[in-house]
Amino acid sequence: MDQLLSELFNGLILGAFYAVVALGLSLIMNLTGTINLAHASFLTLAGYIAFTLVLHGSPFWLALILAPLLTVVVGVIAERTLIRPLYGRDPIYSLLLTFGLALVAEEAFRLIWGANGVPFSAPGALNGTVQIGFITYPLFRLFIALVLIVVIVALTLFLRRTQFGLRLRAAILDSEMIAALGTNTQLLYMINFGVGILLAGVAGVLAAGLLGLNPTSGNALLMPAFICVIIGGMGSLLGSIAGGILIGIVIALTTLYIPAASEVSMYVLMAVVLSIRPRGLFGEEGLFG
Amino acid sequence: MNLARMGYIASGITVALLILAPQISPLMGLDISIVTEAVLFAMAAMSVNVMFGYTGLPLFGGAALFGLGAYGVSLSIKYLNAGFIASILIGVVLALIGTLLISWFLLRRRGIYFGLLTIAFGQIFYFIAYRMNNVTGGEDGMTFQRAPIQIGALKFVFHETSLYYLCLGVFLLTLLAFWYMTKSPFGHTLVAIKQNEVRVRHLGLNSDRFVFVALLVAGGYAGLAGALYATSILFTFPLELDWHQSGDFFLMTVLGGAGTVWGPLLGALIYVLGKEILSTITPAWEIFLGGIFIACVIGFPKGILGSVISLLSRTNGSQAQEAPEAEPARISG
Repeated sequence: MDQLLSELFNGLILGAFYAVVALGLSLIMNLTGTINLAHASFLTLAGYIAFTLVLHGSPFWLALILAPLLTVVVGVIAERTLIRPLYGRDPIYSLLLTFGLALVAEEAFRLIWGANGVPFSAPGALNGTVQIGFITYPLFRLFIALVLIVVIVALTLFLRRTQFGLRLRAAILDSEMIAALGTNTQLLYMINFGVGILLAGVAGVLAAGLLGLNPTSGNALLMPAFICVIIGGMGSLLGSIAGGILIGIVIALTTLYIPAASEVSMYVLMAVVLSIRPRGLFGEEGLFG
Repeated sequence: MNLARMGYIASGITVALLILAPQISPLMGLDISIVTEAVLFAMAAMSVNVMFGYTGLPLFGGAALFGLGAYGVSLSIKYLNAGFIASILIGVVLALIGTLLISWFLLRRRGIYFGLLTIAFGQIFYFIAYRMNNVTGGEDGMTFQRAPIQIGALKFVFHETSLYYLCLGVFLLTLLAFWYMTKSPFGHTLVAIKQNEVRVRHLGLNSDRFVFVALLVAGGYAGLAGALYATSILFTFPLELDWHQSGDFFLMTVLGGAGTVWGPLLGALIYVLGKEILSTITPAWEIFLGGIFIACVIGFPKGILGSVISLLSRTNGSQAQEAPEAEPARISG
């Protein structure tokens, strides 16, 4: 029972990671149709920036704030210079571009920080364990859960309660109309991409502390995040969160009972969901074909 | 000069160069196995060309089918003691079965959703190959011996050059079949689906059926290429099935020219030879490869061959030979 509970908790935290990454992917995908294959590179980049900051004496919490912001700067520059010219074209070209970008980024990480992983772990204050009911649980994982929940709530408030969020949601439905009504859609695209990368950045720093950091470490989160988007339904942010939680639970259960199938389980889940609901759990019919 | 005639002459020169490749490649300091790899990657990239270049659907899981072909060969030789031809056939059949399985999910979706699904379903086969350690060797992959061809008492084992000619022969046959397909009503229907699927449906054609056959064709190309690739390098490993490999096939197709008959070969030659040459100069060759690709996507979305053809057809005023661009699709709606 204890083992099941702590495994479930691990699964939920993993699921929250997937959900935050998937939210970033969804935001970018919903507005511009870009499947950002370089999303994993931004996760890794944020981890490396945090590593470098901590190496030069910055405290962990500062790195956790600064590294995602610096990653956003890189991301927005990439969006303005490379992805923007492709907005008028078939969305597949922006997917291809981000694939090229991911190749370049991975090699650049290797050149700058070396091909092997670098040690990056939680600060001492977060290294302990806490007693919750019957189980002992690492403090760092609880901290991660807290940060991820704050991020998800903040994003929801941003999208639901601000003028900008309103415009963003309107632009997803009809970007031409919102442009005709006087919104600068280019600015909207840029900020939207930035927010997506910010989510990736926060998840990237936390994941680096939990799962390790090497030039390809972000990839481990990318594919599950895609599955979240597919299971939850493209076009739905709530779906991405639900998908993440569902995947987390399924992975936790398979890790406990059939360890060899832990990776394949989420694909099985995806196949089951898609056979029952081809559009995904919360997806809207017609959106994205 | 007429554009079609120029096409025939250029095709003839290309075929002649490919036939002479075992003589030419040593002059450039390249092993013939490199050219074999390029030809087989081109065959695999043709699966992307069928789906993306002609039908307008981004197939981003081609490597899974390629890898199924490869594992079909290695597993059948290792566990079933299959012969040369039998092992390759098993590889192709395995890839087709894989295509059948995923097509049920893929057929319901179009556009980038289709692309996302091909990535995700392709990864299933990657993880199966990766996780079934005791059968597939897991992450380390598996090596095997090349099976001989046995006709009566005659036994024949392919060496590098003869294997190159075998692969080249198969490639040219598949290319001929591909060219024939693009001229056929079936090929024209695929292009029509790319341009406007709703209109195709309103004309009374069941577009799902055409996409399904196109998927099987793509699976066949990728599987055959994978089977021959495994036969050539005598080694199979899970990364062959990974979506990065699919991306590489996509890269080759787009670089050479999606929607042109010879585009995948041109792209594959540039990719394989470029990788071979760049990796001797700098260990960071992927930066250059990715950079070239980014430049290509932004600057020449039609690829090298596509750009050349549209340039020539503009100056000649004759009809373009490439598959036309899709009508700009709205992102949402």
